Amino acid sequence: MRYLLFSILIVPSLALAEATMHTDHSNHGAHHSHEGHLHTQMVDGAEIQLDAERFDKFVADQSGSQIAVVSVIGMVCDFCARGIEKTFQKETGVKKIDVDLANGKVLIAYTAAAKIVNKDIEQKILSNGQTVTDIQILTAQSLIGRGFNNE
Amino acid sequence: MVFSNEMRDAAYYHYSPSYKYSLGIELVDEKKAMKNHANFRYTYLLNRKNTQNSQRNLYFQSSLSAGGNDENSYGFLGDWETRRYFIGFGAQKLKSNLRDYDKQFFQIGFSPYLGDYGDLHSWLMIKSKHDSRTDKWNSYPVIKFFKGDYLLEFGVDENNEPDIHFTIRF
Repeated sequence: MRYLLFSILIVPSLALAEATMHTDHSNHGAHHSHEGHLHTQMVDGAEIQLDAERFDKFVADQSGSQIAVVSVIGMVCDFCARGIEKTFQKETGVKKIDVDLANGKVLIAYTAAAKIVNKDIEQKILSNGQTVTDIQILTAQSLIGRGFNNE
Repeated sequence: MVFSNEMRDAAYYHYSPSYKYSLGIELVDEKKAMKNHANFRYTYLLNRKNTQNSQRNLYFQSSLSAGGNDENSYGFLGDWETRRYFIGFGAQKLKSNLRDYDKQFFQIGFSPYLGDYGDLHSWLMIKSKHDSRTDKWNSYPVIKFFKGDYLLEFGVDENNEPDIHFTIRF
């Protein structure tokens, strides 16, 4: 009976796994074909990939704020990523945080006067178990209304 | 974390001064022996690999008992997970004033859907445990849910005894 229960759980999981791998792969392709994501070119030529809708929603009430777009690897679990939000919430100058598990991004809105130290962000995220691969600082004012969702 | 099965109820609190290690205290109620005691636990991260879509961890874990059967232990825990799949294992050597024995477990699972940050996340898993005292593997399905700072893992083993873990992140 127990083994029957296992079979009921495992067989669909393998089938689902196969389907997911194909789905994920096709999503990956879409990622590069600019569907559903924002690719914005920085002044220094660097490109950051963001979920446009998510980003617009995040900055909608953040006029004048500085936005740190932090690329993170190893952020695979909501429960594990909770520590990131808790850590940054305690920091003076942080107004808002968003965690995007699907794209491995953490968005942090700082006040205009806050001094953002990349090393500090890296260390805080490392302390929570994940690794930072890139940090870009944007100003919400310069991004609002640029029509990213229409790109 | 609160844990309960047919042998014991336990509440475990741990603090991580750094991501490399954590210190914890476990308060145990041995139901069959009708005894209470505390275990002090030390967990050290031996290896971690983060990738875009996965995380792999290997830990050393040891515990010292104060009271009860003076049961001390050491062992290893490991896991690999993506947003969709989870594989975990553990091996533990336990020494007590009654006898020495080993425990091992394996756990695999998948998430039937990918929730966004803040959603209710659900996992279906199979857990398999071995205890050298009985030399039997006990395998059973486990369901795991987490939302926000709360995590609940629930399973019923082959003896129809519940295996429950409830964790709160402070």
